[in-house]
Amino acid sequence: MPAGLTDRMSVLRYASAMYPTKLNNIINLFETLPEDERRETLVSYADNAKKQEPREDEKFELVDVRKDEDCTDTVGVYLHVDENGKAHIRMTLGPEVQTLTRSMTAILCKGLEGSTPQEILDLPSDFVTRIVGSELVRVRSQTIYYVLTRIKSICKVYLDRQRMAQVA
Amino acid sequence: MHPTEYAHPEALVETDWLEKHLNDDGIRIVESNEDILLYDTGHIPGAVHIDWRADLQDPVIRDYISPEKFARLCSRHGIAPETTCIFYGDKANWWACYALWAFRLFGHDKVKILNGGRDKWKAEHRPMTREVPKYPETNYPVPKKRFDKEIRAFFDEALTQSKGGKPLIDVRSPGEYKGEITHMPEYPQEGVLRGGHIPGAKSMPWKTATNDDATFKPADELAKIYLEQCGVKPGTDTIVYCRIGERSSHTWFVLTYLLGLDNVRNYDGSWTEWGNKVGAPIEKA
Repeated sequence: MPAGLTDRMSVLRYASAMYPTKLNNIINLFETLPEDERRETLVSYADNAKKQEPREDEKFELVDVRKDEDCTDTVGVYLHVDENGKAHIRMTLGPEVQTLTRSMTAILCKGLEGSTPQEILDLPSDFVTRIVGSELVRVRSQTIYYVLTRIKSICKVYLDRQRMAQVA
Repeated sequence: MHPTEYAHPEALVETDWLEKHLNDDGIRIVESNEDILLYDTGHIPGAVHIDWRADLQDPVIRDYISPEKFARLCSRHGIAPETTCIFYGDKANWWACYALWAFRLFGHDKVKILNGGRDKWKAEHRPMTREVPKYPETNYPVPKKRFDKEIRAFFDEALTQSKGGKPLIDVRSPGEYKGEITHMPEYPQEGVLRGGHIPGAKSMPWKTATNDDATFKPADELAKIYLEQCGVKPGTDTIVYCRIGERSSHTWFVLTYLLGLDNVRNYDGSWTEWGNKVGAPIEKA
C-alpha cells in the first residue's frame, strides 16, 4: 500500500480499487451486515454453490479436479477464457466439503466472473476475512482460502502455458 | 470374557428414539460441529447450537470458559441442572463428545450422545429445520467447581503417566503418531513444531471405535480394542490425547461410558501442547 494512506476511507478506497467490481460489491455487502445476517448470507451462497457447476454445453481450456490434503473432499475447478481474455470459472464440490468453503466457491465464481486470469492471479487474499468476518475465521477454517488458492492455481497454469506458447 | 453390553447404555440414544421424543420436557438437543456453519444449514428440530470454540473456550487464554459463563450459556439455551442434554454433531460426534466432556467438567452429568450423530440422522432422512428455537431462559446456578482433576489431564500428569509406563492412548492418525505429519490429513496446519508421540503411548485412532455409519461398535469389540490391544485395565489411570482434545473426547466417551472405566482423563492440551513444549520427550515411528 502506498505511503501516506493513513485514514480509513483512503485505505478502503485503495483496497477497493484492487478488487474486480463484482467481487467488490460482494465485499461491501458483507461488510454492512450484522453477524447473524452475515451467517445467513454465507449459508445462502453455500446453498447456491451447486449452480457454479459446469453446464453440459460448456467447454473449458483447463480442468483441475482433485482431492488433496488441504480439503476434506474432491474439488474441481474448470476454466474457460473467452476471446476477450476474460475468465469464466466453474466448480464442483464433493459432499464432504465444508459450508464456508461452499460459500466461498459461490462468492468467488460470481465475484471473479469476467476478470482476466492475470487479475485473478494478482488478487490479494485479505478480502476473505472481510467477507467471512472475524468470528468465523479460525485456525481450523483456514480452508476458506483453499478455493481462492485453487482458482489462482489454474489461472497460473493457463498464463504459463500462454507464455510458453508465445515463446515457442 | 468381554462384556456384551455397554456399561452405561443410557448414555446413548438412537435416532429412532430421538425422533419420537423431540418435544419431551426435560431434554435439550445440542448440536456441536467441526463445520462452523453446518447448524445454520439445517439441524434437528428443537436443537440448540453450541460452538466448541466461541461458546466453550476462553477467548484469550487456552482454557475453558469460567463457571459464570457456563451458567450463562446454559441459561441462554434453557438448560437447567436437571435437563438431560443430548449431544450430536458432524464427524461421527467428535465435537459432540467434546461438548459433552466440557459439560462434565462443569459438573453437568445428565448427558447423552446421539448414536451415529448428524450424519446418520441425515442419511435416514429424518426431519431437519433451519428454525432456531427459543427456550425460556433458566437460572442455571454457577458451578462451584470444575472437575478438571477427575476427567482432565494436564502436561505434567501426562508426563508422569508416560514415565510411569501407565496407559496412554494416542487417538490420532497413524501418520501423526509416527511423526510423519503434524496435522490430520485434509486439515490445515494447527501450529506444532515437532512430530511424534508421547513415549509409551499406544496408537489407536479414534475411528477404530466406530462403524461406517458413525455409530459406536458393540461392547465386545470395543473391549477387544481397548482392553486387549491397548492394555487398558479397569481401576488403572488412563489418559487419552489427540491434537487439541476433540478426537480424544470421542475415545474418552467410549472408555468412560461404553466400557465403564473409572479413571479416564482427556489430555486436551494434547499434541499442540506436547509437540511445542521445550524439552518434552518424544518418540517417533
